[in-house]
Amino acid sequence: MSDGRATVIGGGSWGTALAHLMAYNGNDVRLWMRNEERVAELNSAHTNTRYLKEREVHSGVVATSDLVEAAKHSRLIIVAIPSKHFREVVHTLGEHVTGEQILLSATKGFEAEHLKRMSEVLAEETCVKKVGAISGPNLADEVMDGHPTATVIASRFDEVVEQAESRLAGPTLRVYGNHDIVGVEIFGALKNVLAIASGIAAGVGTGMNSRAMLLTRGLAEITRFAAAAGGNDLTGLGLAGIGDIIATCMSPLSRNHTLGRKIAAGKSLEEARAEMHKVAEGVNTTRAICLHADRLGVDMPIARAVHRLLFEGHSASDVLSDLMARTSRFEHTERIIGSPMEQRGSVIESALAVIGRMGN
Amino acid sequence: MRNDLRDAAIIELRSRLLEACLKQSQLPGGLSLDVLINDTLFHERKRLDTDRSSPTWAADVSFWDGIKSKLGRSGPAQHRQLLSAIIERFTEEVRGNFNPMVFQFATKVMPRALPVLLNAVSPKRLFRRGVPEMADTIKLQGNIEGLQRAAEQGTVILTPTHVSNLDSPVIGWALHAMGLPPFTYGAGLNLFSNPVLAYFMRNLGAYRVDRRKTAPLYKDILKEYATVSIEMGQPNLFFPAGTRVRSGHLEHKLKLGLLSSGLRAYINNVARNKENPNVYIVPCTLNYHLVLEAETLIEDHLKAAGKSRYIISDDESSNARKIAAFAQNLVNLDSGVVIHIGDPLDPFGNAVDEQGRSLDPRGRIVEIDRYVRDGSGQAIHLPQRDRAFTYEAGQAVASAFSRYTVALSTNIVALSAFELLRRRHPKLDLFRLLRIGDEGTGIKMTVLATEVRRVWEQLNELASAGKIVLADEVIAGDSTEIIRDALRHFGSYHTRAVLKRRGDRVFTEDMNVLLYYSNRLRSYGLEPKPDGGQQ
Repeated sequence: MSDGRATVIGGGSWGTALAHLMAYNGNDVRLWMRNEERVAELNSAHTNTRYLKEREVHSGVVATSDLVEAAKHSRLIIVAIPSKHFREVVHTLGEHVTGEQILLSATKGFEAEHLKRMSEVLAEETCVKKVGAISGPNLADEVMDGHPTATVIASRFDEVVEQAESRLAGPTLRVYGNHDIVGVEIFGALKNVLAIASGIAAGVGTGMNSRAMLLTRGLAEITRFAAAAGGNDLTGLGLAGIGDIIATCMSPLSRNHTLGRKIAAGKSLEEARAEMHKVAEGVNTTRAICLHADRLGVDMPIARAVHRLLFEGHSASDVLSDLMARTSRFEHTERIIGSPMEQRGSVIESALAVIGRMGN
Repeated sequence: MRNDLRDAAIIELRSRLLEACLKQSQLPGGLSLDVLINDTLFHERKRLDTDRSSPTWAADVSFWDGIKSKLGRSGPAQHRQLLSAIIERFTEEVRGNFNPMVFQFATKVMPRALPVLLNAVSPKRLFRRGVPEMADTIKLQGNIEGLQRAAEQGTVILTPTHVSNLDSPVIGWALHAMGLPPFTYGAGLNLFSNPVLAYFMRNLGAYRVDRRKTAPLYKDILKEYATVSIEMGQPNLFFPAGTRVRSGHLEHKLKLGLLSSGLRAYINNVARNKENPNVYIVPCTLNYHLVLEAETLIEDHLKAAGKSRYIISDDESSNARKIAAFAQNLVNLDSGVVIHIGDPLDPFGNAVDEQGRSLDPRGRIVEIDRYVRDGSGQAIHLPQRDRAFTYEAGQAVASAFSRYTVALSTNIVALSAFELLRRRHPKLDLFRLLRIGDEGTGIKMTVLATEVRRVWEQLNELASAGKIVLADEVIAGDSTEIIRDALRHFGSYHTRAVLKRRGDRVFTEDMNVLLYYSNRLRSYGLEPKPDGGQQ
């Protein structure tokens, strides 16, 4: 089945953690990173201090800055590059891959302009058809520390799930498969927006009730968006949905959460970003999602609120009170409370719903 | 397909099926032969309960009764023989030999239609007198050379949009005009009941498909027959819409059946190291100014009865006078049908270059055999993987349908008129709007012209971006001319005028059919924005 080899493109914290996991499971792993110094550091000291502090990376991971070597090394290639540079790197990778190979995106984000999912970019820039995405409650630091967790491999191809499972599954990681790649990638990207909101909520000192409300209504909002894009409603209830939301939005380790807390503390977006060297994907995603929500006809109040906070200079308390002042609704159907339910066919029922009685 | 090839294909088909049945029966969880026979028997008896009009009903009943009585008192050795007999019966029927009983049936259901058909539009006459005029009636455009090249570089599966029962004869003529051989094609048994269509169908290399047969084994046979014929290098014709589109919409949800046969044949070719293993999918669109069965189709759609009447046996294509009137129209009005041939694709949905090599989305050459090889380099079938590949190919075909749709004057004017009427009653649901129509007041010509121009401008923009094709008669964008051309068609064939000019106004007498013709251009976002009104 597996050729006992794997490649990871991108030596950030998640890319390195994935490489580490697969090496731990006995695979011969190439980790491509652009920066020569960090290649040297990883190969000699087996650390990636910029992203993972002093944690030791398994010696089965060999870092390289040679993209051709990385591309030819294995049948399975995981791409973990920030969404902003994803297409550029994958385009070059596309020169060197062949049809039997498998490409998995480990990046949780969208391409802003056309709201492309990362697996779509993989398919557009290479000849590879067997593409997929990896997502779930997987904070890189915890994975490196060996805390048990689970992840979802999403692809239309069973073969992709099988190949990834055979390399990734181990004593600290359970692997689940899902054919709903659209839903899995949308949840992976949009939960970052929710994490910023959650960080802000934590930063301004709200309690658990508020956080729970935010996450639950956030789940509803993302589910609407995913459904409009052709995703499966059940995905939201899985690891890549609620699972990832809980991890990302409750953990102070999450970058997007951290960014939210800094914003709540009164910092501007630039200041908050300057204090972090890791990319908070949620910022780009917020911009992209608000651009496209209208076009798709999906109501995204929380994403819009985050947009107002990050880019329009509104204060957290204003945005929160606006959210709270929204008209009351029914859950799931989003019908406004007090508005008559749409009556189909029966003239009498339509009239009764508004007037309440016959005649007068 | 040539008769000798067809016989070879049938022999190959039988041995493959029998072997597959035996092999799967030995797998853990596989169906044992008696269960498989029982299952097929069950489906066939259920069909025979309701399908009493079938010309082979009595023969079928006696065959299956025989199977049933033998199955009860036989052991494993006889099971194999019984299965073999079932496969033989199914394949014999698919082969589509001329069957006197079928012919009798045809003459029985259409006692009045037949003489008219044979005299008024006899195939011979249609060929003798019709063919020179066909070129004026059917306009062929698009990547014709690409199709011809693909036919030399490998085996072609032509996948047209499906609008009318005339599609297959129209395509048959077009293939002939492009210098291509007849394509193999699975045609519904109901089509063979019309002698004119049957004549064309047989000349097209049609095999017979009985949509009432639901036994999984039967469906396997159909699919594998296509696979075998593609492997033998026989070009195939396949309508991915499955059935004629009732609503007039462009088809989005495609049936992938024969596309997957194409992939299966390709994998077999590669595994066998066939010299020229390539299989090409060539999408094409059929664009009719007027559709023979428009009235029945849209009625069926609006009744939401599409499913229950999956097989319409009494539409305009079984009405001789209708066909004659329609044929007359085709000949009188030049360019009644536009066929647009798309660029060839490989079985994975990739584009191909002039040498027939596959290209990735960035134009780099792809070795596609690698998609289907396993770790050791063997070309193998993996049904789940191959379904996912075929899904991708289907997406590519659907997108091609959208890009190669030809916007005709009739579609543009129907959409413009329908949307103007809809705007008069923004709150009415579709069905009430259809009943109200233009309320006898019609639409002012000047207003219609403005709307046509608005729609045209958007279409023109889409066309420059390669997202749709403008028909020759509408390219200039002269709305008066576009309306005149559409009215010329609309006033002539249908029972009630779809659109008719009286003085300075245009009236519709059939909102349903107006909707039908407008639907072709839905999904391009041409309708005015709800709040902005006219731009």
